Amino acid sequence: MRSSAAAIGWEFRQRHRWGLVALAGYLLVLAAIKLVVVERGLPIPINLDTPWRFALVVVVPLGATFMYLLALFSFGFSSDLAARQSIYPARMFTVPVTSAALAGWPMLYGAAAMAILWAATRLFALWPSGVAIPVVWPALLAAVLLAWTQALTWMPYGLPGLRVLVAVLWLCTVDTIVLLALHFKAREPVMLAILAPQVPLAYLAARFAVARARRGDVPDWRGLFVRLGQLADPGRRRKRFDSPAQAQAWFEWRRHGRSLPALVGILLPFELALLFAAGDAPVLVFVILLGALLTPPLMAVFAAATVRKANPGGTDGYGVTPFMATRPLTSAALIAAKLKVAFWSTLAAWLLVLVAIPVALVLTATGPMVIDRARRVIEAVGTPRAVVFALLASSALLSSTWKQLVQSLYVGLSGRDWAVKASVFLGLSFLAVIAPLALWISEHGAVLAVLWDASPWILAVLAGLKLSAAAWVAARLHDARLLSDRTLVVGAACWLVVVLALRGLLVWLVDTPYIPSYLLLLVAILATPLARVSAAPLALAWNRHR
Amino acid sequence: MTTLPEQSWRTLTWDQGKENAEHVRFRIDTGIPVYFCDPPSPWQRPTSENANGLLRSRARRRLAERWSPRHFGDSLRSTGPPGSGRARSRNASRQTARREPSFRLPGRSQQCQLPREHTRRIGCSTVSESVITVSELTRRFGTKTALASVSLSASRGAVYGLVGENGAGKTTLIKHILGLLRAQSGSVRVFGLDPVADPVGVLSRIGYLSEEHDLPGWMRVDELMRYSRAFYPAWDDSYAGELRQAFALDASATIGNLSRGQKARVGLLIALAYRPELLVLDEPSTGLDPVVRRDILDAIIRTIADEGRTVLFSSHLLDEVERVADHVTMISHGRIVLSAPLAAIRESHRVGDLVPSLDEIFVAHAAMSAASPPNA
Repeated sequence: MRSSAAAIGWEFRQRHRWGLVALAGYLLVLAAIKLVVVERGLPIPINLDTPWRFALVVVVPLGATFMYLLALFSFGFSSDLAARQSIYPARMFTVPVTSAALAGWPMLYGAAAMAILWAATRLFALWPSGVAIPVVWPALLAAVLLAWTQALTWMPYGLPGLRVLVAVLWLCTVDTIVLLALHFKAREPVMLAILAPQVPLAYLAARFAVARARRGDVPDWRGLFVRLGQLADPGRRRKRFDSPAQAQAWFEWRRHGRSLPALVGILLPFELALLFAAGDAPVLVFVILLGALLTPPLMAVFAAATVRKANPGGTDGYGVTPFMATRPLTSAALIAAKLKVAFWSTLAAWLLVLVAIPVALVLTATGPMVIDRARRVIEAVGTPRAVVFALLASSALLSSTWKQLVQSLYVGLSGRDWAVKASVFLGLSFLAVIAPLALWISEHGAVLAVLWDASPWILAVLAGLKLSAAAWVAARLHDARLLSDRTLVVGAACWLVVVLALRGLLVWLVDTPYIPSYLLLLVAILATPLARVSAAPLALAWNRHR
Repeated sequence: MTTLPEQSWRTLTWDQGKENAEHVRFRIDTGIPVYFCDPPSPWQRPTSENANGLLRSRARRRLAERWSPRHFGDSLRSTGPPGSGRARSRNASRQTARREPSFRLPGRSQQCQLPREHTRRIGCSTVSESVITVSELTRRFGTKTALASVSLSASRGAVYGLVGENGAGKTTLIKHILGLLRAQSGSVRVFGLDPVADPVGVLSRIGYLSEEHDLPGWMRVDELMRYSRAFYPAWDDSYAGELRQAFALDASATIGNLSRGQKARVGLLIALAYRPELLVLDEPSTGLDPVVRRDILDAIIRTIADEGRTVLFSSHLLDEVERVADHVTMISHGRIVLSAPLAAIRESHRVGDLVPSLDEIFVAHAAMSAASPPNA
């Protein structure tokens, strides 16, 4: 390697080679489908003429890939986004190259990757008929978004978490400008004129950020809040923790607990502000409200990335730190603190949603319409059913938020980089495959019928797999003495009670002869978390005692 | 487990009456003392004819040849004024006379069978159990053998210094003692417990200062103290406060903003404030300034040992080890090449009036070990 540019490029390639190989493979598959099926005039297996179908098949995989590249080229995989310090790797600050080079080369490589991604998507993706596919500006937009992400995440900030807030707000602003331009049907040169000047601006900002981080210039505004707190309650004294479990829960809350409420709190105002634009269109209002209700579980997916991190210091390693590993607590107790804090975090996020939605409905004067629709639903299904349905839906949203936060703990806490990378790869592959597959199935009635007939068996197999995995985990927990016999029995009993209660509710709610009750039991078994959550102490012990 | 035959050993006995006999066993092939049993008495001043007889023995002659000046050049010290090797040896001997650890040790990958009588007197109480017992511990990382059949035993009330070159296996051994690494073969017991199977039982009695100073950077010093005290019922607030003042730490300072040395002080404070039965310090001097290192750390370590608690610390700074350790274990290429009371090491390596420093002894042993590493 004879130049710093080659060295920086080599590091990106070497560290993420498997992800990049997988991405190249995905693009090759797309190219093969396009060249073999479309170019030869064969019928396209999936109809993409509706926007949501197109979104599922093209936009979702493309968006996931874009996010992956965004994290890759901004060093987001091995960093603490909430920290005040720059997420640019500090080890590179001592490399004898200029800050301009440190900022410039990752930006250039990232822009090139985005351009290649767009070119491949444009050439190989299955586009709906009659769509004029833009040539350059989407690639430029991707490069601009990446450049701003790099600049804003590499910048040191005065407060923890401020990075996320600033980056989200600024990227939303850029997106809004582009959407407005599209709304007014701006042509490609106009789009280029809007986007192109932002690249050098972002570069200058990134160079400034790297230079500032390099000389250790990290502002600290926390003292202001400490002083405000002291002014508000000068006689306040911190209470001692009553138990190690309470102390550990405090630690976890300070470390991860506020991520989800913060993310939800940042996004909700933007989402609910759309109610002003929705006016009297009920469908639009309900879509916006549905989006707001789905925000916590969706954001929990991102927050889970920090919750499951075994090494919260933001270093490159996946292993648990000696400080945490030497806490005189069992691995099960450490996990219990995480689960408890995930629950508090979920409650805090939902509290925000439950407060923000009525406020937004009142401010936008859409409240009467929503109440009217709700009244009609109650009249149609009856009050008890409507109440149970509402309770069930809110419980499902609440538990799915919590589940999203904790279900991948067993991967991240295992401390094995191959496990973490494989899970990311499988997740992205699933996203890329599941949407086209679902569409293809929905368009083929015969396949759908076969699947419907086989659904009890499919569900039974899935439930069997889940219970087998849970039994294996329980046996390992017992053998390793991570959980006492009593805890295991009580845990299993609680799980069984939840499953039976859920099944009872479903049977009562879905009062139809077409769905047998055993099918609802299988659904209840699959919906109630068990195996993955139980595996978390095992994974942590595996990491802690290598 | 391999036991060396009886003829591989020579025993040096100081006759102080039947009740107070002391024995040092030397391996004939290396001349390294590997075992002695107490009681506390000035073992370094042999009074019987046995000692003189042994000095004339074949083993002693071989020892003298092995540690001839060609190994050490001109740096061998002779009896001299205070500060010289001889004087330091006397000081160390005095310390050892005050706190003689009982221990057992294998030679290289071999294990010697030792009697169980580890009884020794600490103040007015008699303590018999071993705090750390490592038996035939082997650890491999891929093809590299980090520890090869390591056996070690540490008793209460002594300061054990662990020395070795970079990558020798010191931190790996410490991690096994803490339960952060699982024994691939062999066993590790701390307070008679398996640190992997019972982390709470072991870790609640250990104070640990990590080499990495990986304290949570987002916490303030007072928050860390408040958080840590929840885990240790014996946490002493007044002692913690004294330590904080002694280390000149600001309670409201954020740990992430502290210097490396200040982080080391915070780590030390947290490790000490609940008066653990076993204090494990992994390179404690890293980042500490000389004042804290010499005046505070040394004093703390000695106080802990005087209170009947045990200290195990690894260090590159051999002068520091010489200052505070009662017992020194040298690791090289994953093997224990030397483990004995400091004074016994000196005595066994003395050639006439020449007493090599720990540095010189270490370098020579490391060179010997490098000639036959376990991975070779």
